[in-house]
Amino acid sequence: MLTFTLRRISLFIFTMLVLTLLSFSLSFLFPGDTVINHSGQINATVSELAQLNQAYQMDKSIVNQYGAYLTHILNGDFGQSMASQSPISKEIIELLPATIELSLVALLIAMIVGIPLGFIAAIKHNKTSDHVILSLAMLGYSIPVFWLGLLAILVFSIGLGWLPSAGKISLLFEIEFVTGIQFIDILLSDSPYKWQAFSNASAHIILPACVIALAPATIFIRLSRAAMIEVLAASYIRAARAKGLSFQQIIFRHAIRNALIKIIRHVGLQFANLVTIAMVTEVIFSWPGIGRWLIESIYQRDYTAIQGGLLVLSCFIFIIHILTDFIYAALNPLARGNKYGS
Amino acid sequence: MNLLDIRNLSIELDTPNGKILAVDRVSLSMKEGEIRGLVGESGSGKSLLAQAIIGVLDDKWRVHADRFHWRGIDLLRLTIDERRTLLCRDIAMIFQEPMSCLDPTTLIGAQLSEAIDTSQLSGYFWQRNKQRKEAVIKLLHKVGIKKHSQCISSYPHQLTEAICQRVMIAIALAGRPLLLIADEPTAAMESTNQGQIFRLLANLNQLKNMAILLISHDLEKITHWTNTITVMYSGQFVEAGTTEQIFNQPMHPYTRALVDSSTKANLQLPAKSRLMTLPGSIPILQHLPIGCRLGPRCPRAQQTCVSAPKVSNFHGHKVSCHFPILRETVKKEPVKHKPVKGTD
Repeated sequence: MLTFTLRRISLFIFTMLVLTLLSFSLSFLFPGDTVINHSGQINATVSELAQLNQAYQMDKSIVNQYGAYLTHILNGDFGQSMASQSPISKEIIELLPATIELSLVALLIAMIVGIPLGFIAAIKHNKTSDHVILSLAMLGYSIPVFWLGLLAILVFSIGLGWLPSAGKISLLFEIEFVTGIQFIDILLSDSPYKWQAFSNASAHIILPACVIALAPATIFIRLSRAAMIEVLAASYIRAARAKGLSFQQIIFRHAIRNALIKIIRHVGLQFANLVTIAMVTEVIFSWPGIGRWLIESIYQRDYTAIQGGLLVLSCFIFIIHILTDFIYAALNPLARGNKYGS
Repeated sequence: MNLLDIRNLSIELDTPNGKILAVDRVSLSMKEGEIRGLVGESGSGKSLLAQAIIGVLDDKWRVHADRFHWRGIDLLRLTIDERRTLLCRDIAMIFQEPMSCLDPTTLIGAQLSEAIDTSQLSGYFWQRNKQRKEAVIKLLHKVGIKKHSQCISSYPHQLTEAICQRVMIAIALAGRPLLLIADEPTAAMESTNQGQIFRLLANLNQLKNMAILLISHDLEKITHWTNTITVMYSGQFVEAGTTEQIFNQPMHPYTRALVDSSTKANLQLPAKSRLMTLPGSIPILQHLPIGCRLGPRCPRAQQTCVSAPKVSNFHGHKVSCHFPILRETVKKEPVKHKPVKGTD
């Protein structure tokens, strides 16, 4: 298990190094002065520029420049936003938790809905319910997310008035910023209206999270259906039937666990896709997350923000990847390596 | 009374190109405490037959039988669920490739303990867990695994094939079966392990009077352990009789060829000479010959072989062939029939 952990960590470090190399090279490729792209200080005076050149070691070789850039990043200094002239790290700390919250809730919904539906389809293989679930999955996968988001607002917010259409929480509630993840902040706060705030925040997150979850959920349906069909045809299921176990026992004790192993790695892969969908959805639902901020920075040609956002988002996706790898290892004894030896 | 009595069992497969008769009217009967060998080439429907008996075939296979009795109970009259509960209690099955027949993500101990029926345990529910554990250890000892604690806390991939097969046998024994169906239990195992598994099965047969249906493609390997043998070819019944009858006086040309192709029966053959084999190979399911399916490969085939032969019984030695090899009776029978024909 230690080797397994060390391997993941080394993979993480090297991937992040390659990503910093990419964002470093972006400063050269974007229009404008490299050091200004690095730091984002567009209104710097001559003396400040000299200071920045000193800090980023612009007079030395490119390797030194990269080293200096890396030191800045590791110290949490992503430079200033070109648009708002405030430190990017501060903006990211404020915005990233909202995106984490939204995408994790969406992932949860997608898994809770998608995986059991896929299992049901596999168990009822080639029957009506299987066909219905598969066609629904096909339909859900084909709907573009921006259109679905607008449609959801039109129906549920404007038409039926069930759910709010924009924002993270109603402006009436004042929640102190601690972790940035709304639900945890609400639970930590000692406001008398804590539970009202909690239900309000839940109402706000349902619509965008469901919109994000739709496409991944349909993918999970198909993945889990294929995995379950494969598992149910395996010889250990036949042996379990010969053992005299009932169908429920076989499904719950043997089939689900083995099918989940096949799915869980794909969950990590799908998460990158899910974050992309979340960025678009954040714009539609005015969710104050890093996706909306990144899209706005692209509009405003805020190169420093693009670099910082890119690094932080990919880091987040990578961490989720590693987490799914750990869950995979926890579920699958074959991935853990020979502990006992035979 | 016969333990198991099957008459004319057929298994069909529905395909887009019509129905395929994978197993064609095979009869099989087993007495209590006997070891019966079921022999045939790969693809002759032995495993299908075994799986049909225990009822674990997929939905795509259709099983018909004229008679299917288990200890005098007509199983064809029972519903599928009743049949399954009855058979799963009394019949157990072990498969080839035991490692793939154990759930790779569940500990051996858990897989063993779920095979133990709650009705076997006495005592209150808080005592059950302990009793279950003790029963698991006892089962492992029965199949000759001494390091039970290590085995219980292992996953299947951490054990060898032979140990996995022992665990499978232990799981099969958990239900205290009257009949154990062993579907090529020693395929892909070394000969020492094969011997151990066969000895274990023979022990169980003698100590617990458990009947065993031993399925194998290797006639020579199982003759040492079996009382009676049934031979199948391409889904058709070929010949059945005691081991001596089959091995010493095969009546069907196919059994003859099987015996001839084994080295043990041909010790008098000169060194480096070729063994007797039938030309060709077993037909695939999509292109089955009509009548006797051995027809195209059979050295004794004649025109009548295009219709399926009926089973004829020679003192308990059943053979399904139009032209059986009859060594002693070869001279007697024509003498008997000739005067009858002449008077006509």
